[in-house]
Amino acid sequence: MVYLVAGAQRGDLRAVRESSPEIWRQVRRYNQPVQLALAAAEEVISFAEDPATAAVISLAPCQPGSADLYSWGHVVTAGMSAGTLGNLRMNPTQTLHAVDNLALSAFAIAHKNQSYCLGLGGAAGQAWGALEAVQERLNAGLEEEAILIAGDQDAATDGAPGLGVALLFSVRPKPFESTGRVVRLVSITRTRERTRDVVPHAANGLAAFVSVVEAGRASYVASYVVPPQHTDGLSGVTIDLEIS
Amino acid sequence: MNDKRRTVITGMGALSALGATTHDLWSGLLDNRSGVRRVPRLVESGITVTTGGEVDAVSPDNVDRDHEIANRAIEDALIEAKRDAAECGFIWSTGLDTFQMGPGGFVHRSAGRCFSNLSSSFSGPRRMIAAACASGTQAIGEAFRLIQNGHVDACVAGGSSVMLTPFYLIGFAGLQAVAIDNGDNPSLACRPFDKRRKGFALADGAGAMVLETLAGARQRGARVLAEVIGFGMSQDAFDLNRPCDDGAGAELCMRRALADAALTSEQIDAVNAHATATYSGDLAEAAALRKLFANRWCEVPVSGSKGAIGHAMAAAGVLEAIVAAQTCATGVVPPTVNLRDVDEGCELDHVIAEPRDVNAQTVLSVSFGMGGQNAAIVLKRVS
Repeated sequence: MVYLVAGAQRGDLRAVRESSPEIWRQVRRYNQPVQLALAAAEEVISFAEDPATAAVISLAPCQPGSADLYSWGHVVTAGMSAGTLGNLRMNPTQTLHAVDNLALSAFAIAHKNQSYCLGLGGAAGQAWGALEAVQERLNAGLEEEAILIAGDQDAATDGAPGLGVALLFSVRPKPFESTGRVVRLVSITRTRERTRDVVPHAANGLAAFVSVVEAGRASYVASYVVPPQHTDGLSGVTIDLEIS
Repeated sequence: MNDKRRTVITGMGALSALGATTHDLWSGLLDNRSGVRRVPRLVESGITVTTGGEVDAVSPDNVDRDHEIANRAIEDALIEAKRDAAECGFIWSTGLDTFQMGPGGFVHRSAGRCFSNLSSSFSGPRRMIAAACASGTQAIGEAFRLIQNGHVDACVAGGSSVMLTPFYLIGFAGLQAVAIDNGDNPSLACRPFDKRRKGFALADGAGAMVLETLAGARQRGARVLAEVIGFGMSQDAFDLNRPCDDGAGAELCMRRALADAALTSEQIDAVNAHATATYSGDLAEAAALRKLFANRWCEVPVSGSKGAIGHAMAAAGVLEAIVAAQTCATGVVPPTVNLRDVDEGCELDHVIAEPRDVNAQTVLSVSFGMGGQNAAIVLKRVS
């Protein structure tokens, strides 16, 4: 059995900086998607029994990098035109902004987690593969908790909005922290459905899913059909939940 | 273990600095030959690093180079396995976004979009692995797990990388991870475990494997190249830029792979090492292997492939697993190209200068990624 225990969304880095200075100190050198994913993770991890032994599944952003990194790309282009590439030196912090599994590793370091770790890349619809992986691990009894984290941004330029999402799952039927209801993840099914409406984003689909769970008040069995823009464009995804 | 399905490799494809086939890769290693060389377009760019592992099979001017390199390896693997993509899952890493040099500057290509294009002909699951330099090994491990547990009957697993551009070379030079030119013979740029090692040579490349159930392969009459019998992963949980000195995270993932295979370290016949040729990386890996093998550490042949093909990032783990599979099939361990004088702290039973026929049947292949992500698989000969 797999239960959703907690969910968090963070979209405002200024709020993280002002209200959670300790978290900000941990994440400030990373790029926006990683900062927001880790800030969301810190919110849900307080509900975990043991953050060091939870399976960690992380989604890389579909819009990776940072404004700094893309400015660097322009510097290199200019250097190429001017024949001065040999003089360029890159700030190692910006090199970090290119790393795809950065949120996963930063989380592991912060929580001394050496457990199962799966980084999925920045392709459309990977969130549902991540959710399937959570189900596979917990249903097989390999771990007792799993945390799923994702961060992304609308563009890697200054001022583009970003969003971080974190979900905590457990094999024990604990109430979902924001509603007090027990939310069981029953199944994830896929159907062949091609669509061109995909908008690649690591976090938006999970955020929409959590919003639906948070809105559920009565006891019921629900099927959440993932909107086409949040899929990989090749398959439809339906998530069956039992809320009691 | 008994209720889990046995998983075997029935097809492989490799594009590397040694050539465009798995045969080119294997024969180049047996010849103790390096494909790393001076790359004209890097020389023209004026940067301090001009050597790398170039893939000649696809032109650097081809704007679809990221897709083409991956697709050729995938097609070769499917052809060898006599499989169709539509009946396979796809567990793949396209690494980081690429920034190829074009006439007007850099052309940005999204790794995610490349994966989406590659995956469109596969039935699913379709998972894009993001585990830095451990991606290729982790892709094989994840595919193995999905097949073993009955989630899918066959998968193409692997990775591809197109990063041999000034954009990344300047960045890695800043991290002091790549070997900067100093007048040496370019083919000697990457010297794993050697006293004179200075870092890796960045490379492009792609490696693909078709994995399927042993029962399915036998039913189809497919040729079985090797069996995957164990997979382990770990996080160092130590530092983003360097491994822990004693290789504890690396050792943990290797022990998990052995436990998964229900083996002890005494049953491992050879190791295909990550052998990245960075100062701290090689020391940590050697320390981890010595602890793993305890009093057998000087008896287990160890070989690394990056001296010959450079570091192909997301493709590295699968290219090295292809070499490990060849070792399982032939019993022969290729030499670590460019290793001559083993550095203090890197002592292992290194295979140097020429291949060694030890009738190796069970091989451990390992990868360690930036950020501290580690993955290991165990391959075995199937008689």
